[in-house]
Amino acid sequence: MEKKVLTLNVNNQDYELYINPKALLVEAIRDSIGLTGTKRGCDTVSCGACTVMVDGMAIKACSVLAMQCEGMKIVTSEGLEVDGKLAPIQKAFLDEGAFQCGFCTSGMLMSASAFIRETKGKATEMQIREGIEGNICRCTGYNSIVRAIDAVLKGKYAEGKK
Amino acid sequence: MSVSGPIICPVCGKKAKTGSAIDCARHMFGTGDKPHRQWVDAQGLSFIDLMIEQATTPGNRSYQLLADIIEKDAEKRQSAKK
Amino acid sequence: MNRYTVINPHSKFTVINTHVHNIDGIAKVTGRATYTFDVVLPGMLYGKILRSPHPHAKIKNIDYSKAMALPGVKCVATGADTIGAKQGIWRRYKDLCDEQLLTVDKVRYIGEPVAAVAAVTEEIAEKALELIDVDYEVLPGVYEPLDAIKKEAPEIHEGFERNINVTRHIEWGDVDEGFAEADYIREDWFRCGGQAHMCMETRAAVSSYTPDGKLTIYHSNQSPYYMQGLMAGVMGMREGDIRVISPYVGGGFGGKFELDGAIFATAVLSKKCMKPVKIVFTREEDFIASKRRTPMFYYTRTGVKKDGTLLCREAKVFTNGGAYTGMGATALYLTGFFHSFPYVWQKGYRYDGYRVYTNTLPSTSMRGFGAPQAMWCSEQQIEWIAADLKLDPIEMRRKNSHYEGYEVPGQATIASCGINQCYDEIRKWIDSKGKLPKGHAIGLSACGFMSGGIFNWFDTPYSFSSAVVTINQDGTVELNVGAQDIGQGSNTTMAIICAETLGCKLEDVKVHSGDTDYNPADLGAWGSRQTLMSGNAVKRACEDAKKQLLEFAYAQSGLNIIYDLDIKDRWVHSVSRPERGWPYEELVKKALRGKGGQRIMGRGYYTPYRKGMISPAYSYMLQGVEVEVDEETGKIKLCDSMTAHDCGQPINHLGLIGQLEGAFSMAAGYGYLEYMPYEDGKLMNPNLVDYHMIRAPEMPPANIAEIDTYEPEGPYGAKEAGEGLTNPTAAAIGNALFKLYGIQIKECPIRPEMVVNALKEKKAKTGK
Repeated sequence: MEKKVLTLNVNNQDYELYINPKALLVEAIRDSIGLTGTKRGCDTVSCGACTVMVDGMAIKACSVLAMQCEGMKIVTSEGLEVDGKLAPIQKAFLDEGAFQCGFCTSGMLMSASAFIRETKGKATEMQIREGIEGNICRCTGYNSIVRAIDAVLKGKYAEGKK
Repeated sequence: MSVSGPIICPVCGKKAKTGSAIDCARHMFGTGDKPHRQWVDAQGLSFIDLMIEQATTPGNRSYQLLADIIEKDAEKRQSAKK
Repeated sequence: MNRYTVINPHSKFTVINTHVHNIDGIAKVTGRATYTFDVVLPGMLYGKILRSPHPHAKIKNIDYSKAMALPGVKCVATGADTIGAKQGIWRRYKDLCDEQLLTVDKVRYIGEPVAAVAAVTEEIAEKALELIDVDYEVLPGVYEPLDAIKKEAPEIHEGFERNINVTRHIEWGDVDEGFAEADYIREDWFRCGGQAHMCMETRAAVSSYTPDGKLTIYHSNQSPYYMQGLMAGVMGMREGDIRVISPYVGGGFGGKFELDGAIFATAVLSKKCMKPVKIVFTREEDFIASKRRTPMFYYTRTGVKKDGTLLCREAKVFTNGGAYTGMGATALYLTGFFHSFPYVWQKGYRYDGYRVYTNTLPSTSMRGFGAPQAMWCSEQQIEWIAADLKLDPIEMRRKNSHYEGYEVPGQATIASCGINQCYDEIRKWIDSKGKLPKGHAIGLSACGFMSGGIFNWFDTPYSFSSAVVTINQDGTVELNVGAQDIGQGSNTTMAIICAETLGCKLEDVKVHSGDTDYNPADLGAWGSRQTLMSGNAVKRACEDAKKQLLEFAYAQSGLNIIYDLDIKDRWVHSVSRPERGWPYEELVKKALRGKGGQRIMGRGYYTPYRKGMISPAYSYMLQGVEVEVDEETGKIKLCDSMTAHDCGQPINHLGLIGQLEGAFSMAAGYGYLEYMPYEDGKLMNPNLVDYHMIRAPEMPPANIAEIDTYEPEGPYGAKEAGEGLTNPTAAAIGNALFKLYGIQIKECPIRPEMVVNALKEKKAKTGK
């Protein structure tokens, strides 16, 4: 198949790619752009390791074509920090030890970020758990991740708080 | 026990743990290499059948059987020396 | 959300057991951490492995000419391109080195590597696989151990009569006398399933063989040193000419400290075409071709007195070894040993274990190493005995438990044991819950586990663990260890021990690991050995360095001989008058000048000596799991849990919680979710849709009561907290079902239909 030129906006940066139209978003991000934070852990859209945010929604990047995301704002784990300042969810992950091997972490952070955006501050423990249901973690048993999200929702990392 | 002193393995010369016949039997089964198997088979027992029996029936019959044979063999060696 | 209680908290440490961030945290939460999965080298080719579709067959011929003709294919390799070495991790026992990673003449399981292709893209490599013609002579296969030991079963490995691969016998006391004295004897048969490691990062390797005869390998593994040694054997090279780099590792859980198809095929291909080659297993390949937890068949007979005193037990176990030995020999021993834990057997204990070859995926080590299987059987039977004798299950366990100073005859000395307090804490938790809602019950399970093994089946001439610490002129510290961080946080744990011992701050310490070119040998991350063994090596290295530093401090201070100096939190001070001191950085600069410009370096080594047959130290725990069952569907829901746990002195606080919660999730999976059905040697669910991994909504709270004891052999009294916690949960879930309905499930993982059937049977028998 003939390659096509495609512009993707990832982490507030435009990337012009010359790419196979069948390429998945995760392939464009990892192989064409070279941002390897986003991982792949399966071929059945099951594990969530490839989760990114597309226009604020958590999307499994292995389930969409790169082409489908042209013109949208894509955010990966590399785009959470601002000028080296960690986002609240990243600080929370560090405080709670909400990662171990780290392979699911990028996807988990993106699911968490999208969830936090959507809930606008209020969520029960079960709602948080359902918010990351699409992400498998083999190491942590999820509870530390839930604690991290809960802490962010409760405003522990709000601007002005120490 | 009519054998005086610890029993030495007739195949490799090792003294197994306390030197009792049953410890020597355990050592033989545990090692399971060709020379040990061949020695057991040469005594008229089948190494592999003993192992299978130990695995599939309650009790310690296989080890006890082998221990008895080892003890008899040790007695023979001792009296041959005299 | 989680309750965390500490019993017997020990003396205050500066760094140890404080709430510090994982030192690899920034890299991992910002997408900066690179794994073997991410490695790209210039000129790199992509590899794919051709796998056997047959469970048992001879290879008559391989013709890959058509594959080579496909544009983009650069190289094809088969067993004929290798030295044909049969390898295995039990190097000391040549019989057990039975696996050629690219088989030369025979395949023994579906998925076994037969050939490998390197091409410019992964897509082309995959296409090329279809163009390789393999001429197989299919042989009859056998899939269950009890079938494989029959006289008429096909021989899988030459010279292994009845397909018996390894046997183990553990015995002490007089078991038969015990049975003669027993008031009550119970015997049960159990079946323990396998389990997939399901690391988030599948098996992956990038090998680069260069014209100078050197091999550089990036590999996702638990022990770079083991890989270096094993690859030397299979490539016919010197260890020193091989460099193994393990960057961040996406999980191991016991499946990644042996050679795998990825590391071997990439090395062989790279040597053949002199280009770097990368292979990453697909998730499906990972399921069908990376070794799994050992399935086991247990017969266990226990004799007790009517007051619940445990007199004797005999267990006969068959394990389904699959096609090759792997780490199965160790699992065979450990399962038999831990099946006696954590109890004293007054008259005796006997275990006969048999590992049998079958034409299925080889079984190997997986977190718990045979103990989850052992406890599935033991802890349920103990619960049933308590019920049969109308005894309190906690008190019956308590009166029979190990204690500090107990000697397991001929096997182990228990130097620290906090299990008694574990019983108290679980009792407290159960009482605090009051009356449970209808349809809920709490099941219990006790266990213990080792902190690393004393065995040297790898036949290494090196210390089991080594560390080198070097102090820079500004007081920052380079810590070189062979210990491998696979997510459990060993880098952080070693840094914590270093900072505490040396007296600097945690942020001063840079840990170097995961590269055989720059770090000393260490057996690696398995058997829960690193906190105790690598930790000891780090402690000794830092004590060595600190002693050298303090020599200059003593000289400078001119203190009376009766006063001693120490360093804490970058403050060099007199121990009796801590306010009298000076900054550590100053001392470092002076020591550097005093040594003519040479940096202070400390070295530390640890190998266990005279520590029995298994391990230098044992952790203990009791776990309670609250379960709810949907009687119509048989589906199990985990509602709550409490684990009272003794790991000596915790070192890495966040790490400990992470290990406990993570091990729980894996153990729960073993108990009721992760079923691996095989049919004629073929795995029926090699994907994440059909293989059920626990998800966030299914995980209950994992409350912790941490009982601090002091283990003399461990650094600062520490022992393991990585694997032991994988042991109890399956049995605890089973015991909750027993408590709720009186049903006895003898096979794990417990599937919903098993619960439904058991309830039906019960209704038919009792009308309830």
